[in-house]
Amino acid sequence: MLHNSNNISKNQKKLLAVHKENSPSMCALCRGTKMLCGKSRCPVVLKFHSRDKVKPLIDSLKIGGSSPPSVFIGRYGYPKVSIGPMIPPLMGDTSIIDTPEMWLDKSLDDIVDFRSMLIRGTHTVDVFDVESSNKTVEFTRELAMSKNSVFTEAIFSKKPRGKIAFYDEVQPHGPSAPLKKFDITNPKYEQHIEKAFYDTDLKSREAIFNLYKDGVKISKIQKAFSVGAFGVRKHRRFVPTRWSITAVDSAIGENMMKNTKNYPWINEYRVYYHNQFDNRWAVLMMPSEWQYELIEAWYPNTTWNPYGRGISIFNSYEFYKGRKTYAEIGGCYYSARLATNELLNKERRQAGVVVLREAHPGYILPIGVWNVRESVRKALRGQYQKFDTLDKALMFVSQKMDIPLQRWIKNSAVLKNKLYQKRLEDF
Amino acid sequence: MFNAKVKSEILKDIIDIISPLVNEIKLNITSKGISIRAVDPAHVAMVDLEVKSNAFEEFKAKEMELGIDMDKLGSIMRLSTAGDMVSLEYDNDANRLTVRIGNLVRKMGLIDTAGMPDPKMPSLNLPAKVVLKSSEISRGVRASESISDHLALSVNKDTFELFAEGDTDTVNLKLPKDLLVDINAPSKCKSLFSIDYFSNMIKPVKSDNPLTIHLGNDNPIQVEFDIADKKGHVTYLLAPRIESE
Repeated sequence: MLHNSNNISKNQKKLLAVHKENSPSMCALCRGTKMLCGKSRCPVVLKFHSRDKVKPLIDSLKIGGSSPPSVFIGRYGYPKVSIGPMIPPLMGDTSIIDTPEMWLDKSLDDIVDFRSMLIRGTHTVDVFDVESSNKTVEFTRELAMSKNSVFTEAIFSKKPRGKIAFYDEVQPHGPSAPLKKFDITNPKYEQHIEKAFYDTDLKSREAIFNLYKDGVKISKIQKAFSVGAFGVRKHRRFVPTRWSITAVDSAIGENMMKNTKNYPWINEYRVYYHNQFDNRWAVLMMPSEWQYELIEAWYPNTTWNPYGRGISIFNSYEFYKGRKTYAEIGGCYYSARLATNELLNKERRQAGVVVLREAHPGYILPIGVWNVRESVRKALRGQYQKFDTLDKALMFVSQKMDIPLQRWIKNSAVLKNKLYQKRLEDF
Repeated sequence: MFNAKVKSEILKDIIDIISPLVNEIKLNITSKGISIRAVDPAHVAMVDLEVKSNAFEEFKAKEMELGIDMDKLGSIMRLSTAGDMVSLEYDNDANRLTVRIGNLVRKMGLIDTAGMPDPKMPSLNLPAKVVLKSSEISRGVRASESISDHLALSVNKDTFELFAEGDTDTVNLKLPKDLLVDINAPSKCKSLFSIDYFSNMIKPVKSDNPLTIHLGNDNPIQVEFDIADKKGHVTYLLAPRIESE
């Protein structure tokens, strides 16, 4: 291999090694999942639980409502995981509640409000038990593959507990309760998904990409993937929602990347810019072979930097040959990679891409990586500024972003590569 | 026409030399032997390889080009063991290369060479020349790999030096004249290189075999060595990193 397969930058290695101390950057690396601080529950996430928005929802042993459709597959206890539907106390078309593609014009508060109405029913199964005759398994899978909202009734064995659940990768949802009985009325399969579901010889990677090409929304593909709807029959299994999101983002992105690497380079330096939920996104595209990096800067008092006094900056990157280890910064790396390849494939062009993100203090809660995917998509749908040199493009980036250029460069493997690594034709 | 028989070790060496840089190559064939010249997708490194016909056990060929997918060739060659004789034959009608290892036959589809570039060797002025055993330098490269992604190579009078610097650690390897086969440096020369690329260039050299390095100031490095019992020769070029701008 020409390029480092062990792509963890030296800085990150150092940080991972010292996580026992409460360094300000700890939370940005952990994001509520690794419990690096040693506490049993994440204090950052907990802070938002105190909001008492769901009280009226948790006073009953049963709920009837129109599921968007939405399901949740937990990851704790894998391979024994909790699966089940998510149901809001609303009737009619509730699809927006589980379609992140439609949320960019909503405020953070709106999103939390409507997500917090989703009551999650839980039922523990082995992940390989996808063909179980158990009704909860059957209905959960049918729900996940449904085209439209489905009337769903559930009876719980206990009253729903918990407030709002926040995750880094997954969209938040409301309280949950173990299912006793669960029924759905007239689900109708999404037709493309149904076709892939019945093709038990089709590999899931191909199924995912075919569906994407047929225009099925990523959130729909991911939902069906999480209930083991695709792939060779004997390999089918439930996939925790969190993992399924990144698996789908990564698989689609990888497929498109193969094309990207064969297209001619773009002819100019481009900068796309978009501000969403107090996150500033700058996407720099350079005329070069495919290389990609996502750099995130978290301001003090933002979601994953609650205690720090300084800005924490993290990056993950890959050069032309790709990377073999999971990105240090997590699922967002793959979401943004999908979005950039989407544009390059549409234009049939190749480029080196650096996505810069500044999370400013208005971004106070984690809402899921859909935010990364959709924000970068939105940025790339807009007009770009065109430059003939990297210096000019970087000057423009520094006008849009607060963090000084030198600090971005210092934290960027791809920018350093582009700035310092000469090419043979330079001689 | 192309019909040749060669020891599997030689073919495997060629794959180890080329495939870290490029996947698809144009194999140039003449009656005198074969040659490959390719640049990696990032245009940072070049490899120029030739193997004379007398390195082959049998060699019959007319001038032609074959477009080869190195991954495919590598996958079939992985099944050969040392001492195996491999026969290569071009099938004109099907545009395939037939690879035979014993009774195993792989008919390999070829790639269209029409779109493949013919990279030019840049003319470089690299004043310093060092000849050394590859084992001497490979330890230094491996030590550097764990602390940084680039290293500095320099030649000063009678000493060849390798230096790498990470956030907290440094690695230094000094090779005085008596540990080198030959050194010739009219002036001090120093350039910076990516460790990934550089280590891939010295890895294929057997540890006792000599390696010739040509070095300049903030200029590409040229690495040369012989293969196939000196009946073949490899030249790598690698563009430097230049940090002071």
